[in-house]
Amino acid sequence: MKKKILAVALAAAMVVGMAGCGGGSSAPETSTGAEGEATAEVSGSDLNVMLETPVQSLDPQQATDGTSFEVIADYTDGLMQMAEDGAPVEAIAESYEVSEDGLTYTFHLRDAKWSNGTPVTAADFVFAWQRAVDPAVASEYSYMMSDIGQIKNAEAIIAGEKDKSELGVTAVDDKTLKVELNVPVSYFLSLMYFPTFYPVNEEFFNSVGDSFGTSPDTVLSNGAFVMDDYQPAATAFHLTKNADYWDADRVQLAGLNYQVIQDSQQALMNYQTGALDTTLINGDQVDQVEGDEAFRAIGAGYLWYVSPNIAKVKEFDNLNIRMAMTMAINRDAITQDVLKDGSAPTYTAVPMDFATGPDGSDFSADQTKFSDVCAFDADKAVEFWNAGLKELGTDKLEIEMIVDDDDAPKKVAQVLKEQWETTLPGLTVNLKTEPKKQRVKDMEDGNYQLGLTRWGPDYADPMTYLGMWVTDNNNNYGLWTNADYDKIIADCTTGELALDAEKRWTSLYDAEQIVMNEAVIFPLYTQCNAEMISPKVTGIEFHPVALNRVFKNAVKSE
Amino acid sequence: MKKYVAKRVITAIFTLLVILLVLFILMQLMPGSPFNDEKLNADQKAALYAKYGLDQPVFIQFFRYVGNMLRGDFGVSYNISKNTPISQLIATRLPVSIAIGGFAVAIGAVIGLILGLIAAFRHDTILDTICTIISVIGVSVPSYVFALALSYQFGYVWQVFPMLYNSAEALNSSVLPSVSLSMFTMASIARFTRTEMLEVLGSEYMLLAESKGISGASLIFRHALRNALIPIITVLAPLIVDLMTGSLVVEKIFAIPGVGSLLVNAIQSNDYNVVISLSFIYSALYIAIMLVVDILYGIIDPRIRLAKDNG
Amino acid sequence: MFHKKENTAAALAVTKNNYVPVDTDFVFKDNAGEIEIDTNFASQSFWKEVVIRFVHKKSAVFGIVMILFITFMAILGPNMNSYSYSGQILEQKSLAPRVQGLENMGIFNGDEKMHTSTGIKVVNNYKEKGFDDVYYWFGSDNFGRDIWTRTWHGARVSLIIAVVAAIIDMIIGMSYGLISGYFGGKVDMLMQRFLEVANSIPRLVIVTLLLLVLKPGMVTIIIALMLTEWVGMSRIARAEMLKLKEQEFVLASRTLGAGSFFIIFKEVLPNIIGPIITQVMFSIPTAIFTEAFLSFVGLGIPVPECSLGSLISDGFNSFTTHPYQIVSPIIVMALLMLSFNLVADGLREALDPKMKEM
Repeated sequence: MKKKILAVALAAAMVVGMAGCGGGSSAPETSTGAEGEATAEVSGSDLNVMLETPVQSLDPQQATDGTSFEVIADYTDGLMQMAEDGAPVEAIAESYEVSEDGLTYTFHLRDAKWSNGTPVTAADFVFAWQRAVDPAVASEYSYMMSDIGQIKNAEAIIAGEKDKSELGVTAVDDKTLKVELNVPVSYFLSLMYFPTFYPVNEEFFNSVGDSFGTSPDTVLSNGAFVMDDYQPAATAFHLTKNADYWDADRVQLAGLNYQVIQDSQQALMNYQTGALDTTLINGDQVDQVEGDEAFRAIGAGYLWYVSPNIAKVKEFDNLNIRMAMTMAINRDAITQDVLKDGSAPTYTAVPMDFATGPDGSDFSADQTKFSDVCAFDADKAVEFWNAGLKELGTDKLEIEMIVDDDDAPKKVAQVLKEQWETTLPGLTVNLKTEPKKQRVKDMEDGNYQLGLTRWGPDYADPMTYLGMWVTDNNNNYGLWTNADYDKIIADCTTGELALDAEKRWTSLYDAEQIVMNEAVIFPLYTQCNAEMISPKVTGIEFHPVALNRVFKNAVKSE
Repeated sequence: MKKYVAKRVITAIFTLLVILLVLFILMQLMPGSPFNDEKLNADQKAALYAKYGLDQPVFIQFFRYVGNMLRGDFGVSYNISKNTPISQLIATRLPVSIAIGGFAVAIGAVIGLILGLIAAFRHDTILDTICTIISVIGVSVPSYVFALALSYQFGYVWQVFPMLYNSAEALNSSVLPSVSLSMFTMASIARFTRTEMLEVLGSEYMLLAESKGISGASLIFRHALRNALIPIITVLAPLIVDLMTGSLVVEKIFAIPGVGSLLVNAIQSNDYNVVISLSFIYSALYIAIMLVVDILYGIIDPRIRLAKDNG
Repeated sequence: MFHKKENTAAALAVTKNNYVPVDTDFVFKDNAGEIEIDTNFASQSFWKEVVIRFVHKKSAVFGIVMILFITFMAILGPNMNSYSYSGQILEQKSLAPRVQGLENMGIFNGDEKMHTSTGIKVVNNYKEKGFDDVYYWFGSDNFGRDIWTRTWHGARVSLIIAVVAAIIDMIIGMSYGLISGYFGGKVDMLMQRFLEVANSIPRLVIVTLLLLVLKPGMVTIIIALMLTEWVGMSRIARAEMLKLKEQEFVLASRTLGAGSFFIIFKEVLPNIIGPIITQVMFSIPTAIFTEAFLSFVGLGIPVPECSLGSLISDGFNSFTTHPYQIVSPIIVMALLMLSFNLVADGLREALDPKMKEM
């Protein structure tokens, strides 16, 4: 795999805001307690929260899914925490310094305590981070330390070439943590609220052994809440407000009451009877809640796209065929008539509302910039199609598309099939639904023709998407290759453009232009979730990356 | 008799070993890996496989697993509840499934028996047809639709029972799931009771009993039902295993922390150890119950024992 | 019947004596009104008796009629209007049932009651969106596909899957059971152990793997259903074989030098066809039902093809929003299940004379 080296001096602060999803009523005031005024009175009730899937792991270095991250963050603070707009704000770190070359970060820790009374120290971070890269622990998110975080020696430790003690993180004293990087990473501070970087107390960890994170007695809290009822893979669990939290005054809720509900109709009924304060619903149910002030469409960050297998399927090696197929897609119909959950049609290779450039504007704000190569235009599509068929010397094509066996992708695939078959004469599209694991495997093996897939941003820079289409990248499933493109991306990561934010940004546009002109992928839409949030509740913060929901500032009125 | 039991037990143990091996081989056929394929590179994948011993040949994995299992260690989960010992998962979840399944068996068996008896005694009347229809309707509507309909009516509209399972009021919140689970048992038992009763009622000894002047409840319960019961129990046995080991559908809809949904999640996310352990427990229960039924049969009816002994 | 027999007997007697008969030699006595033939003991062919007993059972007849009706609709239903089962008209999605003629009587007029989170409201999307001449008899689904067409198309698919699966598992299960029962001894022991292993691994594990390894589609689902059903069939066949194999006619056949397979399939099989057919009738609804479960778990027939099961699991997501989307496939499926069960019950009783006297 080609290393993702993301060195850059991006001047602008990265902002991971709420993605601009359509649908739903206008967003009510989301933040009330954010000013941090001490409110003496704590509302006596728990917030009842719905989860789609159970927690997979409460071990911050082992967890990989959004649910686990959210719950871990409920009771653990990292060096930084996530502000409402996604910006990193000091948490356990009281202050920090960055060296001039951007390679060394020094964090000064505040006097925070674990729930067993021991203070949170720099050693806790060192222990946790070393676990994350330790091959014996085999954390699936170790790439956050290496590829993305660029912490010194992380790569070599993961590969087993160096000892974990050589990781570029040291506890200068109890309250000072020094981190060394290979290259400057502009968004490094925002990684600090990512749970893989959360501290673990070594003494406590060793005292509970393998059972770490499997019951309230085997987790330690330094955050807003304390876990007081939990079992592995539980369908219901509970957290109570942490009275000893360093910022306890800010926390208004008495506790969090989580309930896993896999059936969205049960979820909505439970919301309607008042058993839940917030819940996710499916697109079909939107008909039922339209016009309700509690209904909101919230950005989930994922870009859904179709990947054609360019290297192995000769039909897709033909640019005209690819162009025809991407232009025959009516993306508005997909989001408005089928998904209905507020997902936004997307005509760019980088989705909207997650990466902000040096001038403060969204990288993909202009959705019409590639309209001559990616827009719904049946006539043009047919023109491309006929030209392509002529080049291939045939008048009929039969193509198979592999699709995840989940509600939304199955729906989208059925519409795509219909749109393609009605617009493009002589085309037959067969759909093959598979469990996600197998679909991913088939795409990795190049064992597919068309694949419907998605990608969520790992960090707030267009590179998290554009980096995928480089020759030989793991996720470049279609094995597209273009020397010009590779050069631009290389220049933007480690090359000459890496230090010039403005020029880098324009070069990234150029790179995106190539991807779109070549129809390397057919972007479809940026996913949104349809949520019900009781009007009694304010201050729940939603984010498309890292932590899906943050409840520290949430307030529930009776 | 002792020899027969011993022989059966030994065969059962051997069968279980074969099943375990088959499960291991099946897992090898499963496409994909338990880990996050999309974002891992080769080094990381290799580290994960090495950590869990998945890089070893199947047979070594198999013997190691058997060895560990004899010591009560079923391995850890790779995915659905990372690194949690499966014995712990099962210890917390199997009792929930057994309780709800047991409740369902009880409801299904009692109602099924009553429906079957009515149908048999009022054979070929409108009552018979009604009982048949009631019992068939129960299995004509897929259980997930039935479960949601129950939840909607009793939980949402009338609010008499909780819509979701909740360990604080386990009994009350088990009612709706158990009722929806019991439908299949009810239908099977009703149908089977009816057939068996018709057969018994048509037999000569019933005629004899009747001609001796025995009538009413005594005739039904002491003579007829008693004879029909043995085959009914045979039908019930495998149903019990099915119910006790949890049902995906009902667990999913009522948010029950049982083993049925665990198995399905595990299959879908390639969590090999969980699939193997749960399947194995299912198989073991199944074989054990069949064994008990067989042995009981042998005690009750010597003819079977002889036939089997010779066989 | 009796008259005819007498007639031939007379004719035979006549030829023997070389006597040339005259018409007036014998005159039939018109005694139809005098002779009472005891029908109870009248000798009738077995199958004729079965048919008579079967027809006497109203519920069984209802079942047959219903199955024929649904089969008829499954063949013709999809062509009764201009929609196709897969054609989407996204603008016309989620329309409630509306039928020409009935719409003026206040039913099937396209009104639907929406239980929204803010209260109940009645909407008529035909009127709101201006589809004055559009009719969806069973409503339209979330893609604007006609549910009428899809329901009958789905019934067709479900019936094909269920019947084919039932027949195949009859053949396999029956052969397996008969062979195992006939040979007995070591063969039986091995075959039964294999069956035990196959039967005690959770079905879902086997079926899921199968559907992952094979290409999803009708054939794969049929194989999956077959795998879960043949065990029951083989048990019945084996039990019947054990009952019959010690009987005289088998012994006789063997003494005459018949081979094992001749005895199994030519001698024993015809004698157990009754219970086998009954079991097939029972396994058809089970197959329909299992297919519905597979659809729910996401292992059903590939989209946009549909079966009753996949329609129900699709409609399930709109159960509380647009209930009409699930109602028609559910009703058709329930009727099918009920009918097959009634027919199977009727057949069993008709085939088993023990119950005749009840």
